[in-house]
Amino acid sequence: MCGIAGIMYKGNEDIFDTGEALIRMLDGCQHRGPDSTGFALYGEANPGELKLRFFLGTASDSETVIGTIRQRLLALKAVILDESEIGDNYRVTVRYVGDVQKLAYEMEHTAKVISIGTSLEIVKDVGSAHEVDDRYAVHNYRGTHGLGHVRLATESDVKPEASHPFWATGFADVAIVHNGQITNYWKMRRRLEQRGFEFTTDNDSELIAVYLADKLAQGSDLNTALEASIDDLDGTFSFLVSTEDQIGYAKDRLAAKPMILYQDDDLVAVASEEVSLNRLFPGRSLNTREPAPGTYATWSRLT
Amino acid sequence: MVTLDLASLTVREVNEQLREFGAEGEDVYISNPDARHHIGVGLTDAITVHVDGSAGYFCAGLSDQAHFKVAHNVGWGVGDNMYSGSVVVGGNSGAIPGVAIRGAEIVIHGNMGSRAGQVMKAGTLCCVGNANFMAGYMMYGGRIIILGDSGERVGEDMSAGEIFVGGQIQDLGSDAMIGDTESSEEEEIRAFLDRYEISFKGSFTKVVNAGKKLRYGSSEEQMRSLPFTVFSGQSDYWNTKVQEDIHIKSNSGRYRIRGYGGARPLPHLSDLAFRRDLSSAGKVVDVVNRVTMETQIGGINGANPLKLSMPVMIAPMSYGALSRSTKQAVAMASAMSGIAENTGEGGMSDAQRDAAGQLIFQCLGGRLGWNIHDMRRADGLEIYISQGAKPGLGGQLMAKKVTKELAEIRGIPQGIDLRSPSRHPDILGADDLVIKVEEVREATGYKLPVSVKLGAGRVRDDIKIAVKDGFDFIELDGMQGSTGAGGAEIMEYVGIPTLAAIVEAVNALDDIGRRKDIELVLMGGLRDGIDAVKALCLGADAAAFGTSAIIAGGCIACMQCHVGQCVTGIATQDPDHEARYNPQVEAKNIHRFLERVRWQIAAITDALGYDDVRQLGRDDLVALTREAAAITGLPYQPEARKPSRFLRVAVA
Repeated sequence: MCGIAGIMYKGNEDIFDTGEALIRMLDGCQHRGPDSTGFALYGEANPGELKLRFFLGTASDSETVIGTIRQRLLALKAVILDESEIGDNYRVTVRYVGDVQKLAYEMEHTAKVISIGTSLEIVKDVGSAHEVDDRYAVHNYRGTHGLGHVRLATESDVKPEASHPFWATGFADVAIVHNGQITNYWKMRRRLEQRGFEFTTDNDSELIAVYLADKLAQGSDLNTALEASIDDLDGTFSFLVSTEDQIGYAKDRLAAKPMILYQDDDLVAVASEEVSLNRLFPGRSLNTREPAPGTYATWSRLT
Repeated sequence: MVTLDLASLTVREVNEQLREFGAEGEDVYISNPDARHHIGVGLTDAITVHVDGSAGYFCAGLSDQAHFKVAHNVGWGVGDNMYSGSVVVGGNSGAIPGVAIRGAEIVIHGNMGSRAGQVMKAGTLCCVGNANFMAGYMMYGGRIIILGDSGERVGEDMSAGEIFVGGQIQDLGSDAMIGDTESSEEEEIRAFLDRYEISFKGSFTKVVNAGKKLRYGSSEEQMRSLPFTVFSGQSDYWNTKVQEDIHIKSNSGRYRIRGYGGARPLPHLSDLAFRRDLSSAGKVVDVVNRVTMETQIGGINGANPLKLSMPVMIAPMSYGALSRSTKQAVAMASAMSGIAENTGEGGMSDAQRDAAGQLIFQCLGGRLGWNIHDMRRADGLEIYISQGAKPGLGGQLMAKKVTKELAEIRGIPQGIDLRSPSRHPDILGADDLVIKVEEVREATGYKLPVSVKLGAGRVRDDIKIAVKDGFDFIELDGMQGSTGAGGAEIMEYVGIPTLAAIVEAVNALDDIGRRKDIELVLMGGLRDGIDAVKALCLGADAAAFGTSAIIAGGCIACMQCHVGQCVTGIATQDPDHEARYNPQVEAKNIHRFLERVRWQIAAITDALGYDDVRQLGRDDLVALTREAAAITGLPYQPEARKPSRFLRVAVA
């Protein structure tokens, strides 16, 4: 019920324009999902520092929520370096050296976490790409790579926390955008829950994120994790995954969900529809290709 | 040649101008296409359109006669449902190129995406590069030429037609086999390639249907028909119906197919009663003129609405399941009563179009009879997702009914057991559906209301999707709806009762605060004006009648619709049987029934103290059973009176 987009710049820093590029690509496929829009953005990482984002919602007691978050961070020995309120979010940078998963689960029990990462920040809210940009200044992000998503909600509410991208709860810097439906969701989720992982939503996309992050944590590289996902996940899917320094895609064997890919010397861009890719290059004919059913691929940042 | 620039014009503006230039015979050059969707949709003039770049979804869709030259790539569904003309694509194509074409020529110079030529009926789809997964999926006819490799499962579930592969055959699909290429066929291919200036020196392997799945392997034993009341059974256990089911399965070795609706008792509108004393209902003379019943459906987003003389329409029933004469009689009756008729699956006939005052044209996954010209002479369009009697499954039409004439209209081979696709080639989610609805609107100039027909299943989610996808109205079909042929167990045990469906639908719209953004037409076992009023009270904007209209027109409810030898001439394509049906006489019978429905609606509305059907509401109802109370949330009042004796007399 949605459109997806991803971009990674390869080298020349002058042309990095991740936020603006994703806004344009999502605007191009907003017809696929008018309810909410989200971005996974990767900025500068500083050793020993984590960026955390929380939903405050429109509640009047946001000061209380922030107070609780501060206390909990303090208790976990995370030192607040910087904090701000942006749109409906509370954004905080901390110095933290402990186990990220422990921090993540503790914070999940305290407030609505959107993302935790050394470089990852997820921005998602109801409304169109431009509306979300107006609230969160997404266009200012100039990182190397990122993902985007537009959503058509079918649940009872159009809630920001149900929108994409999904953070792999408990794993820093892993995010996912997904178009499709995972039909063995509960089976896979119970398997992961038995091993101690926690889920914050009933959304099948969160499952993909946690599934992949778990594989990575066990030592798989992203390619191996994606290859396994095509066997393990049942249903229709075209999804994009991003980590601190990679993006990748996987596509189900029935090719039920669209995906199109463009690559040149400067960048690789993937989207649900070519019309999104063309937003990056108005007036040009692009040499695109449609990934074959049951395939995956990854791209790494050149560092 | 004129140039239209998509950098400054919208696709809608470009398509409007294309039609104007088409009428003048002027060729058009489109610059800055930037992979936008719906370029050239609905063009029906013999001009050439040059697209200087890439086009998006449904380029040249629902067109006829026009020629398209796309310099670069195309998205999903290039040439969708094209009747004649051509599309030449310089680059690659996304999924389902040539979907449902009925005679056009489509050439892809690059590679093509999965399910190429799905449900195509005639014409040629040629790919110079490689095909992807399931090329020729469910094709009913025509020719696919793949100069490169076939991709996996080529010819999956094809019924007819030929696929010629110049490269490697990676994998044959279910019910496909390698056939011998005739020299004449090869000559025709060479001539085709020459015409499009494609050089190819290699030879071809031909893939055709293997004929193992076109018919059911065994036929059902003809049983003496059981009256519906016996068929329904008083006991759930070894009643006559259960025994008959077992006999039929032990003979055929497969699931049972039969016509009509489910026979199992389910909570229904008859489990509700009116809160107020209706003993006065029916006593007022001229009550029909005291109550405002005119209802407009489908105008909510600016399209020309259907104008109904009462909140009633005819439910979709196909020409195929029903005889031509029956469709004609229903159409005539609908016109006499000032309501809308519906084509159902299987196309629109001239007789039906001429007879019906207002006609909804139905679009199904197989695109059997769907075409731009009949779309334009319809008064409303309907995208069928599923039906209440067998939600999630496609229609079935047994070979006996797939006559030469019927096969021609649908574009399929004669004499197969037709199992219509259960899903659309181009609607695999709510996101695709948005783009499909837009194509249909583009093709008809945004004038016609577009509805979605939903078999009640996952009602809450589906209704929300329907409203977000921008439909003008929803036709919601509950489990008590009937069908010309379906799996017996499906009809009995799969689905959501009509009563639950309408309640869930209204709740879903309230959930998202969109009650006023879409209209609801309820169907599925509605029998009379009393049911219609209850539907309106529960939140429907109109009610639709299928089976009851057929019964009014002579059906004896023998439940043998699938067999094709209907004794009344209704559910048959056999001319001898059809000759028994007099459409003029039956049209009047159906009309008289519809007028009784009108009278019942008026009488009840009046007795409830209203002068307009729009004043009816939930508060007018109570539940007579605990189940109905639980489903609807209405107060449980088993002691509530039955409707007035006058109302019942009037029906009889």
